[in-house]
Amino acid sequence: MPRQALGLLQGTVDVLILKTLSWKPLHGYGISEFIRQQTSGDLSVEDAALYQALHRLERKGLVDSEWGVSDSNRRARIYSITPDGRKQLRSEVVELRRYMSALFRVLEPA
Amino acid sequence: MSPPFRFPFRSRSRIASEVDEELASHLAMTAARLRDEGWSAPDADAEARRRFGDLEYTRAYCRSEDFRREKEKSRMIVFEELRHDVLYALRGLRASPAFTLIALATLAFGIGANTAIFSVVRGVLLAPLPFSTPDRIVRVWESNKTLGITQGTFSEPDFLDLRAESRLAESIGGYFFADGLTGVDLTHGGPPERLSAALVAPGFFETLRPQPLLGRTIAADEHTPGRNHVAVIGYGLWKGRFAGDTRIVGQTITLNGDPFTVVGVMPQEFAYPAAQTLDVWIPLSYFGPDAIGRDRAAHFLSVIARLQPGVTPARFETELSGITKRLSDSYAENSGWNNANVASIRDSIVGEVRGPLLVLVAAVALVLLITCVNIASLLLARATARQRELAVRAALGAGRGRIIRQLLTESMTVALCGGVLGAVLGYVAVRALVASGGVQLPRGGNLHVDGAVLACTFLVALVSGLLFGAMPAIRAAGPALEHKLRTSTRGSVGAGAPAQRLRGVLVICQVALAVVLVAGASLATKSFARLLSVDPGFRPEHVLVAKISIPDAFADTLRGPVYYESVLDAIRAIPGVEAAGSIRDLPTRGVGEMRRAAQLGLPVGEGDADASVQLQHVSTDFFKAIGAKLVGGRDFQLTDRTGAPLVLIVNAALAKRYWPGESAVGKVLHSGKTDIQIIGVVGDIHQRGPGEPAEPTLYISALQNMRAGMSIVVRTKGDPLQLASAVRNAIWSVNRDQPIAELTTMESVLGTSVARQKLLAWLLGIFGLLGLLLGALGIYGLLSFAVTQRKQEIGVRSALGAPASSVMRMILGHGMALACGGVIIGTIAAALLTRQLQTQLYGITSGDPGTYVEVIVVLLATALIASWSPARRALAIDPVTAMRQE
Repeated sequence: MPRQALGLLQGTVDVLILKTLSWKPLHGYGISEFIRQQTSGDLSVEDAALYQALHRLERKGLVDSEWGVSDSNRRARIYSITPDGRKQLRSEVVELRRYMSALFRVLEPA
Repeated sequence: MSPPFRFPFRSRSRIASEVDEELASHLAMTAARLRDEGWSAPDADAEARRRFGDLEYTRAYCRSEDFRREKEKSRMIVFEELRHDVLYALRGLRASPAFTLIALATLAFGIGANTAIFSVVRGVLLAPLPFSTPDRIVRVWESNKTLGITQGTFSEPDFLDLRAESRLAESIGGYFFADGLTGVDLTHGGPPERLSAALVAPGFFETLRPQPLLGRTIAADEHTPGRNHVAVIGYGLWKGRFAGDTRIVGQTITLNGDPFTVVGVMPQEFAYPAAQTLDVWIPLSYFGPDAIGRDRAAHFLSVIARLQPGVTPARFETELSGITKRLSDSYAENSGWNNANVASIRDSIVGEVRGPLLVLVAAVALVLLITCVNIASLLLARATARQRELAVRAALGAGRGRIIRQLLTESMTVALCGGVLGAVLGYVAVRALVASGGVQLPRGGNLHVDGAVLACTFLVALVSGLLFGAMPAIRAAGPALEHKLRTSTRGSVGAGAPAQRLRGVLVICQVALAVVLVAGASLATKSFARLLSVDPGFRPEHVLVAKISIPDAFADTLRGPVYYESVLDAIRAIPGVEAAGSIRDLPTRGVGEMRRAAQLGLPVGEGDADASVQLQHVSTDFFKAIGAKLVGGRDFQLTDRTGAPLVLIVNAALAKRYWPGESAVGKVLHSGKTDIQIIGVVGDIHQRGPGEPAEPTLYISALQNMRAGMSIVVRTKGDPLQLASAVRNAIWSVNRDQPIAELTTMESVLGTSVARQKLLAWLLGIFGLLGLLLGALGIYGLLSFAVTQRKQEIGVRSALGAPASSVMRMILGHGMALACGGVIIGTIAAALLTRQLQTQLYGITSGDPGTYVEVIVVLLATALIASWSPARRALAIDPVTAMRQE
């Protein structure tokens, strides 16, 4: 069994999905794999939470989807980020950075 | 996504299955990886599901999110398309200003006219009456066959007998009111003012049960002398004279010099029995028998009744007829008055104007219809010209429904713009109508453009848009659309032929509608012209009239005549006055007093025992002032006064009836113990109005038989209104406190008496002209278009040697064929529809053949003129150029 993956902070799932999709369009499984690989397994998104987030993001118009074919030649729903999604991602990143630095100013005072 | 590409919307079940498929695909991929990692197949599936988390919740969540998104998207797309279509429509309308201008102007007029007429219909015919349970209230008349009176008033004793004997009525009430005649003088810290008044008998308010705005109405026990100095005042007087002071109730005002307590104020909509506004309601009993006769011969009371629940007017009529029959058997004065008529109070108030109003409703509806047909025809032409554009859109993937929707949006945009303009026009028209006094429409004080009227206008605009937009749109987006892109771009003989045929049908409709409108207009204007051309028996030009009532303090037999003559003398002394006289009731304003011919000693025939004649009190010089011709004998002189032998002047109608073939001058009437000599015969004055025949009338010198009411008639050298203030000052030089009820010209008095017919003639005239214009426009538009479309054909014909006259004949023939079709249909329709106009016509029947011949000639001539210019254009086509365009 690998190291226990970290649970995710509220709202960070959305940012992770958007960031992942900003590289290239992917299906849900691909997004989950990508996040796992990028963080060497430190972060894992629960599948249920991932799909709920994807459909919520699509409803908000931040991602778009269409049916395509996966690498393994399966019919899959492929998600891509919309211009509104990119805008959202940028502002979320700024917010997160502010949040983290504030957090660490408390945890590790200079 | 924005048009023209559009995803088909996903259904609820499709969304569900897509979510299922997506999740299943994820689980399958996870399981595949697990198998790669060494899990057995069944375990891998179970592990994949375990790792996923709450699958069912996620499934439901994703479905609902997707469904919400789908709904938002479809809403957005519809809105986006609509916005696109409206913008596209506006651009298209800007690109063809001629079409837009004609469409908007005609629509605005058509819808405006409908708005205005509907607000009148609503205010006058549809709005609820300001009474409680008005359906149970009826108006009652006494009738007398011998006198030819069907809607007669009651005498007070008869009225009291009705009240006592009727079992079917909950209450019976009476009133005495005559517009411009019944009134009281108000003195209340300012100049004296003549108020219009209804003198109410017991039961009046109990029958109508109106809701007072302030205070109460007159109570049942306030009709007895000693308690009857109470008054209910109208909204207009309260707002104007008393500045809307709510403390007015309980205060005392001075009417005719006597103190009256104001007990209540009525709301604006209650003016019964007046048509529009009434100043005051006071008990009739305030006026004693010396002022208003109370014997059975004195018919003056109008009667209303509230029926018991479940009693029909017909049953009540039978009961009343029984009572009047008994009365006429019991009392000599009642002989002949043996029947009663009952009608709902609504009919008695607005029945008279319902006919003309409905005629106008029909006319404005026709105008709007012809407008719609015209626009539909224009749209068809536009669609034909835009075939290629539409075909391109279809080729690019716009569905048939989509194209219809776009074309409909375009016509709806036109319709709604026209509707807005129409609402504004209608508002202006109603304001103008109200400002002009509502042309004496009953309940004319209630006219305004309100929410309901605007809603109706909006609906009318919407329906118009559908009416003129639907057919061209469906046709234009027809199944042959793709085909059109492939056919020759220009000049193919058959191009748009079905559309042209359809336009032909529309033009026939237009002409037919125009015939109906023009026929109605022609009948109404002819009738009005005939009404005006009737010789009224006097010359109304250069005549000023003033109405006063001699105050009670001066009205006794001694001072009355002195006062009467001094007022007239003061006026006669004004430079520029040719003659001045006075009469009790001006022409069109009343018929004086009714007397039984036999009682006066007139030689009545056997079956004529009940015949009555009119009696009018006049001054010296009255006939000279009003311009009536004395055909025999002499006028009254100042010596014909109290104490001198009684003398009479009769009109020609009376002379002819009682002394046919001989001169009436010098005849002596033996009336009781008194002998009265006839000293002169005067030409007939149409007292009831120009449309009514003159009745047998006696004139008596006011100096011998005083009446307080004076309608002063002043013949002037120049413009009568220039002397108005001089006349007013002359009257006030005799008595500074003399109220003057009215000061105007005789022409305006006559004008108001025919104002309604005049308005009807004017409105129908305008509508008729508009119909004619639109009809001509329709023919012209169709032929112009046809000539352009058939340029090559005409060119080829000319090149092959067809003479110019045959080309001309072809085009003119086309136009005239359409016109003839329309005229035939229209004439039949007009013959049926104008029958409704009959009751509004004077001196002409609705089927007048001469009028129809004229209308047909006018329509055909208009059609010929409209066809001429396109035909000329066809002649000017150069065969070489036309064929080179191929």
